[in-house]
Amino acid sequence: MKILVLVVNRVIWFVPTLLGLLAIVFFISHVIPADPAAFAAGENASAATIAEMRARLGLDQPLHIQFLRYVQSILTGDMGRSIYTGRPVSEDLLSRLPATLELTLVTVVIATLIGVPLGVISALRRNSWLDHGLRFVTIAGLAIASFWFAILLQLFFSMRLGITPLTGRVEGWGPEPITGFYVIDSLINWDMETLLDAFHHMILPVATLALPAAATIVRFTRAGVLNALESNYVLYETAMGYPRRQIVWKYVLRNALIGTVTQIGLIFGILLAGAVVVEAVFDWPGLGMFAVNSILNSDYNAVMGFTLIAGTMFIVVNLLVDILQGLIDPRETR
Amino acid sequence: MTTRGMKGSATEISRRNLLVAGAVAGAAGLPRIAEAQRGGGGRIVFANGSAYDTMDPHATFDVGRVAYRLNCYDGLMRWVDNPPKLEPWLAESYTTSEDGKTYTFKLRQGVTFHDGAPLTAEDVVYSMERILAVKKGAYPLFAPLVAPGSTKALDRHTVQFNLTTPSAIFAATTHDIYVVNSALLKRNERDGDWGQAFIGRNDAGSGSYIIRRFDPARGFLAQRFDNHFLGPAGVAEIDFRYVAEVNSRVLGLIRGDFQGTDPYMPQDQITRLQGDSNLNVMEAESTRLFYSCIHNQRAPMNDVNFRKALCYSFDYDGWINNILGGSVVRNTGVVPNPMWGAPKDLAGYTYDIDKAKWHLARVQAPMREIVVAGMIGYEQSIQAASLLQNGLTRAGIQSRLLNEPWPVVSNKMRDPEQMYDLLFLWRSTYYADPHNWAGEILHTERHRGGNASYYSNPEVDRLLEEALATPDQAKRAPLYEQVARISSEDAAAIFIHNTKWYGPFRKNVSGVRFCPIGDGQEMRWLSIA
Repeated sequence: MKILVLVVNRVIWFVPTLLGLLAIVFFISHVIPADPAAFAAGENASAATIAEMRARLGLDQPLHIQFLRYVQSILTGDMGRSIYTGRPVSEDLLSRLPATLELTLVTVVIATLIGVPLGVISALRRNSWLDHGLRFVTIAGLAIASFWFAILLQLFFSMRLGITPLTGRVEGWGPEPITGFYVIDSLINWDMETLLDAFHHMILPVATLALPAAATIVRFTRAGVLNALESNYVLYETAMGYPRRQIVWKYVLRNALIGTVTQIGLIFGILLAGAVVVEAVFDWPGLGMFAVNSILNSDYNAVMGFTLIAGTMFIVVNLLVDILQGLIDPRETR
Repeated sequence: MTTRGMKGSATEISRRNLLVAGAVAGAAGLPRIAEAQRGGGGRIVFANGSAYDTMDPHATFDVGRVAYRLNCYDGLMRWVDNPPKLEPWLAESYTTSEDGKTYTFKLRQGVTFHDGAPLTAEDVVYSMERILAVKKGAYPLFAPLVAPGSTKALDRHTVQFNLTTPSAIFAATTHDIYVVNSALLKRNERDGDWGQAFIGRNDAGSGSYIIRRFDPARGFLAQRFDNHFLGPAGVAEIDFRYVAEVNSRVLGLIRGDFQGTDPYMPQDQITRLQGDSNLNVMEAESTRLFYSCIHNQRAPMNDVNFRKALCYSFDYDGWINNILGGSVVRNTGVVPNPMWGAPKDLAGYTYDIDKAKWHLARVQAPMREIVVAGMIGYEQSIQAASLLQNGLTRAGIQSRLLNEPWPVVSNKMRDPEQMYDLLFLWRSTYYADPHNWAGEILHTERHRGGNASYYSNPEVDRLLEEALATPDQAKRAPLYEQVARISSEDAAAIFIHNTKWYGPFRKNVSGVRFCPIGDGQEMRWLSIA
């Protein structure tokens, strides 16, 4: 019941949060001294053509009227057309969303599977050589620029050893999209060759993204476990003769994971919106590149559409994190 | 009426040449171009740094996305090779009225679209009307000349353009009238959109390749059209991939994932590719002019002495030989060197700080800090701005660098109040005629457009208008040469270099034919071993 109250509470806040986000992005993006009408009209366009284009795009209206019109059209499910591509923004976004989501989900799963156990081991062997080694690797993982690391991986594994693909999601054009998630589509078609190829192409981009993500998870899990190990209930359980393994993996980890789960939610949101560098280096046709191009082209509708999608997913992921925290620690729902 | 054949060279075109070439082409039955054609197998992956956002041939005009227009659609005529020659394509001949306002094109017979429908004069009329209606792509090129509804299909294979004003460059621009399948588009129109939603993703052309798959985030897959009127192209399938990152394009080419890539990359990457024994980096002098606008109407730049001081403050040799490693060629005037109409004896300016100071001493207006702009994402533009600042400091001119992205820059260029004092940029080749540079960069009517220097000289305007109304190239050439000389004396802008084209391909790819219009991306000539 308390979980349900939490969900309703978050959903109520969803609308004003998103509206506030849209308003901020809308007004900031329109303050930039760029003229999307001039851009859309082309290099040789005359002043009259640009003025005509501006009127056609509704950019000659006052800013607040433009915003109200935009919100109205959003409420009817219309994100508008991209000034640059001429297609509905929803179409452009949905065609790229699966690539980004697939990469993000696999990265988060891999980073969690690596990060949590290493965080626990690091805490249990505090100040050992293993702990020092993990500290070095995690700090390096957080410090290394992903652009540089991605190129290093390409040079070593693709160019020198030739064991991983250099770029792209699959070899050639891949399957006709059903969901757009190549892993799911190849399973639906029971096409194991494409499935393996899709995973093969994910190795380097996932490794690039997972290193800093796993490093964050290791640090937070280690801190959480160390904190929990110093609790009285651990002392009590130890005194009662509970097996060490049971204490650590059943009781300590549950308490230690609260901070880690919050971090995983944040990492998911950051990866969704911020994987642009990795998408560029690995030619991964996702949302990040689309967002950057839209910003550079002053494509207002596309920028707003991306903000809407990224904001919505961020809020949904955080809602899931809150629910998960409630399940781990019922006190969180109070 | 003047009858024109279809082969024209940008360097030696003349009315007489046109007549002779047309007769030769007519006697052969097919133009010279067709003789080089043969079918073949194989597949090529071409990596491109610009995203193919749409497949609508009337929606784009830039060189970065030219591949689908050139390879999947045909125009009335086409520019090929370097120096560019205007060759017959869908049209086999045309006539011009004495007043230079009526152009009548005779279409080649037996041409079909990819779906098998015959290509007729009605399709050309529809395509022209569509360009004027959707107001994108090449629209600014035709809007001042062609009124909606004025283009007529005289019969199934004859189309007539009735211009609002005489234009010697109209034929040179008809390669940009990409002809679309009007019946197919009309069937797929939604709410009077001229089929934009349909053609943005689907094929409606007659070109050498058929669009088989399109993903705006990835590119498009093109399959050879075996029934093309020039015969089948050399490669069976081409995967045009959008690869944003230069390093990924270079590594992919070295590794053999890609067989070709676009030439827009820093000089160090070109040098890296030139050192690879599996690659062939083709080299040709193009016609892409790099220059700096000078705001001619704002003090102190409205004083010719100050503008000359600016011109003498740029280290041309250091720029070309040291920074760009000799990869470009000095271009002293407004018209690129390889073009007719470019005076061969125009000395232009040199890097001479003493002369800069001499001119500076004669400037009446009070000195102030000037703003030198470059474009974010275009490294050469930013580097050139820094280099000029160094020269300006030595000459005693205070300056400030400002780098902004292209949408911001293009907006400011169109407003004389907001325009920077100086701005480094390029002028690409949209058609091989001196007017593409001189007319766009210098004519007063192009203020708020291509003339971002806001330069104005009545004599230059008169010469440009006379050249535009004169059909004979032999008479036009000296007019443009005069324009180049006057604008150099006026220091209308800092004209710096003409770009070289570098076409990186794997060695098993042959048959590449570079043309500045289209940047060597016409793929039908290629074959792969």
